Amino acid sequence: MADTICRTLRDGGLEGEHAPALTIKDSKASPFGFDVFNYVLTQLSNYILAGKSQSRGLVVVAYSRSPSFYVDLLKRRGIDIASSHDWIHILDCYTDPLGWKNWLIDKDISQEASSLSSFCQDVRNLDKLYSLIIEQGKGLIGQGKDRFSIAIDSVSEMVRHASISSVAGILSNLRSHDQVSSIFWLLHSDLHEIKFTSVLEYLSSMVASVEPFNQAAFGQRVDLENLSMLEQNFRKGKFHVRFKRRNGRVRVMVISMFLYFCGECADLLYRKSSYIYFTPLLV
Amino acid sequence: MKAAQTPHKKEVPCVFGRPPQLPITKIIRLSAALLARHRRCSTPTAALSLPPRVCSLRPESLSCRLSTIYSWHFTGKTKLCSVDAAMATTKPRLSSFSRNLSAVSSSQTPGVKCGPNGTMFVSSGIADLDKILGGGFPLGSLVMVMEDAEAPHHMLLLRNFMSQGLVHGQPLLYASPSKDPRGFLGTLPSPASLKHDKSRDRESEQEKGLRIAWQYKKYMGENQPNFDSHRDNKQDYCNEFDLRKPLERHYFTRQRVNCVGIQDSKNLAALQEHCASFLAQHQRNDGSCALAGRIAIQSLCAPQCEHSNMDWEMLSFIKSLKGMVRSSNAVVVITFPPSLLSLSSTKRWQHMADTLLSVAAIPDEDKELAKLLSGYQDMVGLLNVHKVARLNTQVPLILEATTFSIKLQKRRFLVLECLNQAPVDGSSGSSYGTSGSCSGSSKAGTLDF
Repeated sequence: MADTICRTLRDGGLEGEHAPALTIKDSKASPFGFDVFNYVLTQLSNYILAGKSQSRGLVVVAYSRSPSFYVDLLKRRGIDIASSHDWIHILDCYTDPLGWKNWLIDKDISQEASSLSSFCQDVRNLDKLYSLIIEQGKGLIGQGKDRFSIAIDSVSEMVRHASISSVAGILSNLRSHDQVSSIFWLLHSDLHEIKFTSVLEYLSSMVASVEPFNQAAFGQRVDLENLSMLEQNFRKGKFHVRFKRRNGRVRVMVISMFLYFCGECADLLYRKSSYIYFTPLLV
Repeated sequence: MKAAQTPHKKEVPCVFGRPPQLPITKIIRLSAALLARHRRCSTPTAALSLPPRVCSLRPESLSCRLSTIYSWHFTGKTKLCSVDAAMATTKPRLSSFSRNLSAVSSSQTPGVKCGPNGTMFVSSGIADLDKILGGGFPLGSLVMVMEDAEAPHHMLLLRNFMSQGLVHGQPLLYASPSKDPRGFLGTLPSPASLKHDKSRDRESEQEKGLRIAWQYKKYMGENQPNFDSHRDNKQDYCNEFDLRKPLERHYFTRQRVNCVGIQDSKNLAALQEHCASFLAQHQRNDGSCALAGRIAIQSLCAPQCEHSNMDWEMLSFIKSLKGMVRSSNAVVVITFPPSLLSLSSTKRWQHMADTLLSVAAIPDEDKELAKLLSGYQDMVGLLNVHKVARLNTQVPLILEATTFSIKLQKRRFLVLECLNQAPVDGSSGSSYGTSGSCSGSSKAGTLDF
């Protein structure tokens, strides 16, 4: 079921149509949004490498993780990094978003990551960011009619430095650009007012919400009775997706989602390696 | 009983106020006498002398003086809507109070027709919607459409509205939050070919014998006399648009089509100026209508616009626009997503509208809904009519239904239909959906009442 989202992003938009846009939304009750983001990113990368997608390149706008993280992520998923220059570019809005650390740039990221990334040192200027994204995307696909995809690892970080209308503007402009095939972004819904969440849902063609598996356990006092339920919420959750179809109907899907930790380090705060998989929800 | 035909073919309105003390029977007798006098009159004027407590009004100014809550508004076309309507209908001589559609005169201006109460209508571009609203969008009115964030159905309404205006040669002002508003003109639908219309007629003729009796309400309106049922008039006033066929370019290159982008503007001042200059060209002069104009504003509070967080400025703009359009021969259609406004702002915007519509998405592959509604598989969304513009009258238009399904016939033609419940299998109590088949899911068994 979650692959349906990835296939929709893979297939892209029709001529003259806005690019499909996915909002991945989570909250502190079920903080798996970033894992879902990584899953979608990996799947789309596989499609691009296999030549099965409409897009020929991927631009990752990294706000909440450094470019090195994404390079390591792709390596762990078995994706060839050596040839990555042709199809992926990471716009680094994490290392120095406000242009404070000019003298530390060379030491912050690995050499491998630095070859795949470029810095954005003024995230407050979204017009410039828009130009950078388009420029990097065109650099990946060349002058032809090919398209590229965009991944924004957190619009929650983006809106910290810019107004809602300018964030909505850049997302809308990216969706309507002729050479953008698809776009997806992550949102931590409990960090914002309902209006901002509504704005992003309005701009998206798909909204994927990560919800706690046991809704009743969240918010209650931690005691022996609901401790196991709380533990469950940190290992699995519900994945609720709403598709806006072209014919104007809305398709709703709800599936279970499990977070699997590999290796000995299963610390939720510092997990370096985790996998996520989806199963149909048994009612 | 028809209203008197006058040389000028004008409607002959007669309105009188009823003070509480005057018995209703006396009013009825007086009105009958007035009707008889109208038939004998060769001039379009008439006056009714009543006791001092009752106003004596000349027909030309009657609609302006209608003020009492007990008033009856009789134009020869409008149904009697007073609380005493039951009394009037018991007397056959008072059938003149019923709608007399044959007396309606069509305006000389293409795409504009006269309606009751001195109003003039333009078509919405959707024939079914025109019927629901009592003729179309009145000139001088503000139409607001509440969008659904999950469905683009408001774009269907906008497209048909804009296309209809361009086909009639009516100037159009289109405002949009997109980067290239003019590009939207390429998605406007073209009028359906005559060949399709003829084939539809043949199909409708053939289908008459196959209609299911229990859904009679769907077909009731087709047999009633309707002034726009005449084929030529219907084509002139409201076209049927093929959503898969783009409008020919000559419609929007020759005509005065002005497209305005509202995303990059700091505020709504520029848009207000555009609207003011557009409406100034369509000022209403003594009831004459040289050419009607149309303004279409898409997603006024779209989040990418800088003014989207200026609640009071947007409300002020709408109020100003409403005031300007009221004295012009134009119609303004504004769409907006209420989910992006505060509740209080949404209420205020709804209050500003003369005609208020909303569109809603429907879930896909919903088995429960498929069992509940007939024709679910053809539906793409729902349309709700919350308010209908009624200019120059205090008489409301009471609709039989306010929720309609939006369907695309052959994926090309937009139609609105009343919601009909799917047939329910009486033996098992479960519905067997819209297939119309009695086999399969139906189970043999005695009916349990």
